Amino acid sequence: MSPRARVALLALAALILLPGAASVIAGLPPFGATIARYGERINAITPEARHVANMVSAINFDLRGLDTLGEEFMLLAAITGTVILLRGRRGEGKTGRAMRRPGRAVIPRSEAVVLACRIAGPLTALFGLYVVLHATVTPGGGFQGGVILASGTLLIYLGEGYVGWRDAVRSPWLDALEGGGALLFALCGLAPMLTGAAFMQNVLPLGTFRDPFSGGLMLVENLGVAMAVAGGFTQLFLEFMEETREADEPDEPGEESA
Amino acid sequence: MTAFPAVLLPLPVAIPLVVCAAMLATAHLLPGRVPDILATLAALGVAILSAFIAAHAADGPLVYWFGGWEPRDGVHLGIGFSVDEASGWVAAFIGLLYALTFVFAWGFFGRTHGHFQILMLLFLAAMVGFCFTRDMFNLFVWFEVMSVAAFALTAYHLEESALSGAINFTVINSLAGFLMLGGIGLIYAQTGTLDFEGIAAAVARGGRDPVVAGAFCLVAAALMIKGAIVPFQFWLADAHAVAPSPVSVIFSGSMVSLGLFGLAKVSAVVFAGSDQVQHGLPVLLTALGSFTALLGGWMALLQRHLKRMLAFSTISHAGIMLTGIGALSADGTGGMLVYVVGHGLVKGALFMVAGILLATRASIDEIALRGLGLGIGPAGIAMAIAGLLLCGLPIGVLDQGTRGVQGALAQQGHGIALAAGAIGAALTGAAVLRAAGRIFLGLGPDSGDEAGAPSEDEREKANRPLWLMLAPCCALLVLDVGLPAHLIEHALPRAASAFMHRPAVDTVAEGPGWLPWMSVLAALAGAAYGLLRDRLPAFVVRSVGATQSAPTRALEALHSGLIGDYAAWLAVGVAIIVAMLALA
Repeated sequence: MSPRARVALLALAALILLPGAASVIAGLPPFGATIARYGERINAITPEARHVANMVSAINFDLRGLDTLGEEFMLLAAITGTVILLRGRRGEGKTGRAMRRPGRAVIPRSEAVVLACRIAGPLTALFGLYVVLHATVTPGGGFQGGVILASGTLLIYLGEGYVGWRDAVRSPWLDALEGGGALLFALCGLAPMLTGAAFMQNVLPLGTFRDPFSGGLMLVENLGVAMAVAGGFTQLFLEFMEETREADEPDEPGEESA
Repeated sequence: MTAFPAVLLPLPVAIPLVVCAAMLATAHLLPGRVPDILATLAALGVAILSAFIAAHAADGPLVYWFGGWEPRDGVHLGIGFSVDEASGWVAAFIGLLYALTFVFAWGFFGRTHGHFQILMLLFLAAMVGFCFTRDMFNLFVWFEVMSVAAFALTAYHLEESALSGAINFTVINSLAGFLMLGGIGLIYAQTGTLDFEGIAAAVARGGRDPVVAGAFCLVAAALMIKGAIVPFQFWLADAHAVAPSPVSVIFSGSMVSLGLFGLAKVSAVVFAGSDQVQHGLPVLLTALGSFTALLGGWMALLQRHLKRMLAFSTISHAGIMLTGIGALSADGTGGMLVYVVGHGLVKGALFMVAGILLATRASIDEIALRGLGLGIGPAGIAMAIAGLLLCGLPIGVLDQGTRGVQGALAQQGHGIALAAGAIGAALTGAAVLRAAGRIFLGLGPDSGDEAGAPSEDEREKANRPLWLMLAPCCALLVLDVGLPAHLIEHALPRAASAFMHRPAVDTVAEGPGWLPWMSVLAALAGAAYGLLRDRLPAFVVRSVGATQSAPTRALEALHSGLIGDYAAWLAVGVAIIVAMLALA
């Protein structure tokens, strides 16, 4: 289709879609008017039932924990898929060590950068852990904390250079971290079933309201998510970084076009 | 807590998730074939568990509340699974299809540290979750997990065509995700709940409401995109043709029909109380379905790229399934559910034959393969049988589904949809039989015309023994033909009514007995014409030479591979649904 025909087609569809959308928008409850009954109900019962101050965590990891489990595995699918696509081009064999960056000399880092990264790296990791552990009392949680942890590993790259980073961060470990975290989350669902409770039912002591150790199972689930996210995101950084490099020796024949 | 079998409901979803997470965690330690074995066992486990659940759901749907959040004071707090007999059997079928696909793909993906199996197991878990859930947002989550796993699996070959096919697939199906999420937002804003039953009750109370209609429109469009209904079908041929064969088996065998399964469930359960939706549905679904059946069949006949031909055939059959839903009766929906299983079995077997040709003959082009199938006769027999079953040979599960759909359409007086379905099936059967005759018998003109041939050297890993690839293919066909008809006949009326949340009916109407035979005859005639054209008198050939006609060329030009075109058609499709609902 020519671009003009495409626009004409869209305009034709818009003739019907726009009035339809207008009537839907007019029929919606007014903006900010009410909290839905479901939300109201959850707000009313959760603090008491789960001793959790961060309502979002309670919804994500308890009431609607299955959705979060699905999303955790959606992330795992996305990262595994990206790894397949990026790695497939290079050949699966070269994942263990750093590859060469052609055509550009490696400039030594200034001492200031190295020092800054050595200070900021551990602090960032610590902050990431803090965000993970306070999932039930402050905004934040496993996902956010996991991303901060992953960015902490990038500071190693900034400070120590690419080869140093690749020496410190091994691809198989990241797989183990990512898979292990996801496994922990899934087992948080299955383990309560052994005691006769429902999938993902909170069977651990609930702790004190507004205490970091509240919410029982939610803490373990957040830990699993944090591990999976930290491992997965670092894996992504690593695979994308490898994209810009090439192997020292000529390409080994990759997997036979399969 | 709940009764014994209901306790098992989370397991068919949780088992593949646990296995795939464990596989990823130990990716570098697992030797050679372990991922294959683990994945096959996990899929078998899902199949057996789902079958067990389905058998127990015969007395009434099993309900499970995650986290123990059972409804309180009429408010559905947590996420629920609700499995009726039909949903359970569909999940069992999906598990079995995966198990056989893993056998077919044995050793296909070496040296990837089980990444292929990880994605496939996620795909499986998402499909089962999609079948079992009774929560709108949870439905969306599994819908998206399915998509994300599928995108990467499509691009697995990493050739230019594979990447462009995967990008079309990604963009269009992500749009589907947006539409669905928008629809769920609307229905949640209006009804204040996400549970199927809760929404259904609120919708029934609400009367004619533009927000409910808008929500249905968006959700239905998303599911029709997954189900490849015209004009949402464009992505399918691009994606199915380039995906590795084991992935195509899953795509055509279960992913596409699951979109329609979801549509059937949503329209029968969630929006059952909206008169506007229920009045609009029959015309909308039978019209779109008929058109899809014809267009898919016609396009299939025009292809020489085998997997593309099978992909268009899947579009055609998706259209037939949609007309079954459009009958809005227990007969039609029941027939459609049986059709999902039967079509999955036959189409899975056909994609496996295509995979065998790719692996042993290193080509997927019908013309280039002419006569090359002589050494692998059993594959040819499987292809011929599958082709005959596809166009309606009156034996087996697919035929039972066909008769259910046709019976419902005949009863409701949807004559055009009835005819369109029969013609669509005949066209796809003709295409498959023609290809089988050309490849395995060496029939047909040797045109030497290379225009339109697949441009890249396509091949798949050839180091697998032929019997290993043939065994799962034959198992699928044997299942389709050998499954005792009276079992399905006995369970169907009850299962279909439970699926639609309606009081049980006694019997299911069946379509005219001669119609499937007509389809078979037409398919044989079409295939024979394609193969023996050069021996016919010139005037016959000239008058029928439709493959060179202007409408045909226009149709091919529409499948341009350009995402912009596809998105424009998508908007048109949504507009069609809006218009039909407004008129209802």
